[in-house]
Amino acid sequence: MKLSFKAAIAAAVVAVSGTVAHAADWTPPGPIKMVIAFAAGGGADTQARLIAEELEARHGWKVIPEQVTGKGGLNAVNALKEAPADGTTIGMIVTETLGYNMASAKAGQPTDVTPITTTAGTQMAVVALSSKGWKTFGDVIEAAKAGEDIRFGVMTGMLGDLAYVAAKENGVDFNIISVRGGKAVMNGLNAGDMDVGFGAGIQAKAVAAGDMVELASARSEPLINSPDAPLLSEYGVEFSNETAFMFAGPPNMDAAARDAIAAAIADVVTSEGKANAFITKGFGGPVVISGAELEASVQSDFDSSAALIQAASE
Amino acid sequence: MTDLGALDYVLLGIQAVFAGPEAFSLLGLPIPITVAMVTIGLITGIIVGATPGLGGVIAMAISLPILISIFGFNSDALLPVLGFLIGVMKGSTVGGAVPAILFNTPGTPDAFMTTLDGYPMAKAGKARKALKIAHFSSVSGDTFSDMVLIVCAPFLAILVEAYLDLPEKTALIILSLSFIAAVVGGSPAKGLLSCGLGLLAVYIGTGEDFYPRLSFGTDALSDGIPITAAVIGVLVLGAIFVELEDLWHQKRTSGGIQIIKEVGDQRLHWADIRRILPFIGRSAVIGTAIGALPGIGSTLAATIGYATGKRRHDRRKAPDDPSFGNGAPEGIAATEAANSSVSGANLIPVLSLGIPGNTAAVFLILAAESIGGFNPGPSVFKFTTDLNPELVIVFGLFTAMIFANLLNWTIGGVFMRSLGVLARIPKQLLLPVVFLLTLASLYVQETDMSAVWFAFGFGVLGYFMRRFAISPLPFVIAFVLGSRLEDTARQAFSATGGDPFFLFKSPIAAIFILAAVAVIVLSLRKPEAKSA
Repeated sequence: MKLSFKAAIAAAVVAVSGTVAHAADWTPPGPIKMVIAFAAGGGADTQARLIAEELEARHGWKVIPEQVTGKGGLNAVNALKEAPADGTTIGMIVTETLGYNMASAKAGQPTDVTPITTTAGTQMAVVALSSKGWKTFGDVIEAAKAGEDIRFGVMTGMLGDLAYVAAKENGVDFNIISVRGGKAVMNGLNAGDMDVGFGAGIQAKAVAAGDMVELASARSEPLINSPDAPLLSEYGVEFSNETAFMFAGPPNMDAAARDAIAAAIADVVTSEGKANAFITKGFGGPVVISGAELEASVQSDFDSSAALIQAASE
Repeated sequence: MTDLGALDYVLLGIQAVFAGPEAFSLLGLPIPITVAMVTIGLITGIIVGATPGLGGVIAMAISLPILISIFGFNSDALLPVLGFLIGVMKGSTVGGAVPAILFNTPGTPDAFMTTLDGYPMAKAGKARKALKIAHFSSVSGDTFSDMVLIVCAPFLAILVEAYLDLPEKTALIILSLSFIAAVVGGSPAKGLLSCGLGLLAVYIGTGEDFYPRLSFGTDALSDGIPITAAVIGVLVLGAIFVELEDLWHQKRTSGGIQIIKEVGDQRLHWADIRRILPFIGRSAVIGTAIGALPGIGSTLAATIGYATGKRRHDRRKAPDDPSFGNGAPEGIAATEAANSSVSGANLIPVLSLGIPGNTAAVFLILAAESIGGFNPGPSVFKFTTDLNPELVIVFGLFTAMIFANLLNWTIGGVFMRSLGVLARIPKQLLLPVVFLLTLASLYVQETDMSAVWFAFGFGVLGYFMRRFAISPLPFVIAFVLGSRLEDTARQAFSATGGDPFFLFKSPIAAIFILAAVAVIVLSLRKPEAKSA
């Protein structure tokens, strides 16, 4: 399930600095359509639009964002499939789209698109309002065992499976509510429509303000803002969510365009600016992996998805 | 970071409008972009309102895609674009009275009742006075309505979040749709048909399933129908097709407009204002109450305002005063105050529930969705101690509305009185230009010919709907609300642990559903009662 991002970062940075040189040689043959697989106004959407804005400012490219949401990013993948491969169409998805979502939907292969680069990881956490009084995920399980109906908001199929497995391993039931985007989970928590939910980083502000609390990390490592929060693996969940945000292009994308765009995006997210600040605040900092490295990790993510799908179907 | 209170949000909203990016400087004074856009919008609105055959909807449809491509897709674009649309909305209600009074041809459907007293006044040589009365009443009604909106929307939103759970929210959307279907266009069957077609269209290619449903396996349908194409097609192109056919049948020319000489005093005196104020007050309350309910447009508000005013006038008027229909200033006041006070109140369900009540609201939601960063609905009104940017946008919008009203009070009246000439533009030249402009601006936003074909197809649908007297409004609102309805229903279903009867388990949800059925049943019975 896991992508070895940490190990890859160093290599990726080297790879990126190598491509910067000929990035200047490529200019897009027209305005670049940026397909965004996330609901407007959410954290991922904001990230994509900030990147678009800075690409325009730094390179003089014209970038037109377009929302193609739904089906865990597969709608966006479909939009990319038929687009011209000359660099005039790129899309922002998550690694999960090409891994778990594609595998569980039996909707093609990761090679249906050309991975360009990742931009950031996530701070995937189980989140609740502080007013609930829960400190860790264990408190939620206790509440469920005491007979309370627990509504669990998730924004992707994989997170739904994780929530299901977490309940199953602890002998309880959650009412799992699937919504579009982390922003919708936050709204659901705030409105009292949900008790707990997953947040990929959008919760950072509310956690800092003390309005929300991170009950557990869904990643394989502790959360940056709540280092003391337990990992889901401590509750018998043997899967983790290592999703990263990434850009992809149409299949068989022009190599010069791909490298130039990867370098430009890497530059935007790693050097000082609005996008970098946003990513650092919400998603624990930039994570840039591109080229063959990214292709390999996306493929292995896809191949290893079967285990979770199997566990969640039992 | 300092904690933010409600007052800070109000101040931030005002700042967002007046301290925003500078558009240009006038006599050394920097003019913020939002202020400039509200002003341009208001002037555009007055112009299109005063032009028979055009209206606020067409102006919004054409300008929205162009504005979005100019201002871009970040949240800085929200206030200028929404401000422009609000300007158009307000301007067109005022402008609609111009041709109604001067030439007996209402510029907007709402202004029809204005012709009843406005044109007789103009024939009696009191045209300018009639225009002043229309302007005064219209802007008074509008201002009242905005104040109600600003006070009520936040409270309603907070109430909704406090008391409505997912099943209740689902039921509320069903109730809104059934209400719109029942009250618009006279026949609930036609309303339901229009609503059903809208839902059918929006469910093409969407949904959680990985197979693009209802697409017959075609690529063209598998991504769903672009919302702008559907809305512009049904609302604007459909209307243009109908108008063109009417023109073709009647071969009407626009000549023969008589110019009548003005007679006597044209000024609006304090005594006049005192006479019409009670009518304005009543109509403003009626219009605001009607506007707050989704789906009932300003035309009905104008009718009820006029009828109520007529009853009062018949009882109290001096024997030698003109009665309603014979050039009574009170008639103009009652109509214009009622139809103008709908627009502000119409935004109450939009901002607090995310449910649009009329076409102008549909375009505001469309703008917010296309630009991103602002999702109208109850979650907008969360007074968080750290910055909630959506709430700032709301207060920015309120500021823009108040500013538009101030403009309307001052330059709006002068400007509208200079627009009589617009009624002479021949429709047969105007409509094809509007038609091409609409398609071009749609292409600007979607950059895809398929959107144009979709719009054309929905235009044909809109044409037939109008020909069969089926209102396109339920179609458009169902199209806008369809995915919300499906999402909320799905979520309510999972939240209740997969209870198929989730709509009937809580008392509030059950009441909403019963009301939804009752609205349809009651409006079905109405025609029988009349004929009996």
